[in-house]
Amino acid sequence: MFPQFQSHSRIRLLALAIMAIMAVFVMRLFYLQVIQHGTYVALADTEQVKRLKIPAQRGEIYMMDDGQPVKVVLNNTVYTVFVDPQYVDNKAAVIRTIRQVAGGNTVDNFAKLLDKTDTRYQIVARNVSRKQAELIKKRDLKGIGFQAVSERVYPEKSLGGQILGFVNWEGKGQYGIEGKFNDELKGTEGMLQSVTDVGNVPLTIGSHNVDIPAKNGKNVVLTVDRNIQAYSEQALKNGLKKLGAPYGSVLVMDPESGKVLAMANYPNYNPGAYNKVADAKAFNNDIISDPYEPGSVVKTFTVATGINTGTITPQATFNNTDYIQVEDRTITNATKGQTGRVTFDHAYTWSLNTGMVTIAQRLGGGSINSKARGVMYDYFHDRFRMGELTGIELAGEAAGILDKPNIGNGDEVRYSNMSFGQGMAPTMLQVGAAFSSVVNGGTYYTPTIIEGTISDDGTFTEAEQKPTDENVVSKSTSKQVQDMAVRARKAFYAGNDKKGYTIGGKTGTSQAIVNGKYTFDETTGTYIGFGGDSAPKYVIMVRASGPNQAIGGQDVIPIFTDISNWMIDYLKLEPKG
Amino acid sequence: MSQYYSTTTYNRRRQNWNRNQNTVAFTSAIKLGPVTHTVLVALMITVLGLIYLTQATKATAYDYQAQEVDSKIAELTSEKTDLEVENARLTALNSVRNSSVARTMTTTNQSDFVDN
Repeated sequence: MFPQFQSHSRIRLLALAIMAIMAVFVMRLFYLQVIQHGTYVALADTEQVKRLKIPAQRGEIYMMDDGQPVKVVLNNTVYTVFVDPQYVDNKAAVIRTIRQVAGGNTVDNFAKLLDKTDTRYQIVARNVSRKQAELIKKRDLKGIGFQAVSERVYPEKSLGGQILGFVNWEGKGQYGIEGKFNDELKGTEGMLQSVTDVGNVPLTIGSHNVDIPAKNGKNVVLTVDRNIQAYSEQALKNGLKKLGAPYGSVLVMDPESGKVLAMANYPNYNPGAYNKVADAKAFNNDIISDPYEPGSVVKTFTVATGINTGTITPQATFNNTDYIQVEDRTITNATKGQTGRVTFDHAYTWSLNTGMVTIAQRLGGGSINSKARGVMYDYFHDRFRMGELTGIELAGEAAGILDKPNIGNGDEVRYSNMSFGQGMAPTMLQVGAAFSSVVNGGTYYTPTIIEGTISDDGTFTEAEQKPTDENVVSKSTSKQVQDMAVRARKAFYAGNDKKGYTIGGKTGTSQAIVNGKYTFDETTGTYIGFGGDSAPKYVIMVRASGPNQAIGGQDVIPIFTDISNWMIDYLKLEPKG
Repeated sequence: MSQYYSTTTYNRRRQNWNRNQNTVAFTSAIKLGPVTHTVLVALMITVLGLIYLTQATKATAYDYQAQEVDSKIAELTSEKTDLEVENARLTALNSVRNSSVARTMTTTNQSDFVDN
């Protein structure tokens, strides 16, 4: 009995011990699987569940080419090649491969970077193409990695640089279209949350998977025609070279729609190499961001105001003495000798300041009083929209300056100066849009540079029509001013024009202010004109300037003529019989 | 396998014939013990488990196939982008202007119109 008792006792002890151990296991498992359930699920999720950002593709930008949109800003994926010096086992092979495949894209002295074995990340080449990256991958070398980077590609290089703007290193659009439409162009990132395997391959298992696709940015189509843009840039460059002027701009518009066909500035820059631009002034689009005194081109608006209000006719006369007194100031003509009784048509052709001041005086019944100033402001600002933002879809537009009558500087002297283009500072775009409204029959079209958008599947959607203002001047006034502009051109500057077309325009020479006084030693030359067959089909405005340079309106006419003659061919205009 | 008649009264069989019902009953001669039952149940559970595993693995295999397709799409998209960029570069105005074809072109003469 005793041995049996002993044997049972041991078995019971063993059973108790096993049960105790099992109880410990059960308690531990209960603790881990029930009480700590949430903690371990979260821990597992951090290991197994990956949250990946799906980058949105930045919208592309198109220009027009003879009525068809063509891409001028695209996206491309390039690769940054890096090495982990601690992991590289065949240094010579790595150096040889990088040199052979990505020779032109390597960083300086990249071979020495492989010796920095106290680091884990050294960039050895940048902007490597996909094909180059694949060639390197095929060599199957240890310690080489690739980082995909999206970059903007500008196949037309500097064409329309100030219109397009650029994307900085943070991926943010700056200046031009890129700056103005940064939010629309950049799109919205997507997100992928999924259980993944060790190779980061997303798996469908798991109950909290999220797949939000990226929303690509809008593709923007500009009204700018790349051929007109290219020709304008080249004509401007050539013209400025002949003049010896360092700065210049050309604006080409469609007067029947307000669409900008070209905006050329010199100097310009390549947005793909924006970091190499020495002078940040090159980023500015002077046509919209640099208001200036346009000079005598404004006489077109003074004449239009006078005719439209019934104050004058082109053939009405006044007595020109080359001088006219306004309060304590004596205003003189730049071109002297056309004295005696002359018509306002003659005054416009010879650009007589006295004629324009006379129109302003007649608006007030004999002096540039409050009534005259009110009428001028109504036309210059309210109808022709000078001195206020046009709303052009580009970053950096300036409102310009046009003083209100009876407030601040808006006195008689200021308005007498404004009648011939001094004492006010509109932008070229404002002047171009105003001039278009005067010569197109009297409709003001809000200038625009957006033709529409193109979806990812290639569907083109036209942009909404911008507001127009009809009858800013009557059709009759428009026709009379057109004829005056044609006569003004034919009088001196039409020698090189293509025959059989209606081409008119007006010069403008604005003096710089030195020590508080206008000087003829430094002037900005401007010419604005239109061309077409039976109706104006284009408006071209040219401007050139330089420090300590006297550039007159007549000096920039060859640039206008060059572009105008080319436009006639490009638009396939038929000559009048 | 053997079989036997389950004999009942003749009259009753006839009645069944009349009713067009089964008149033969089969009984297995094999008797399964408790161990066999246990093994069979275990086998069935194992088969069910295998079926579950194969289906679960199959779903994951589809994930890998989907990933391969995605990779292929990405690769083709990348190639398409490369080609678009190359096309844009080749058809850029500057490239066209400096092309060998453009260099051999001559300038057109001024064409006048006739006054009637």
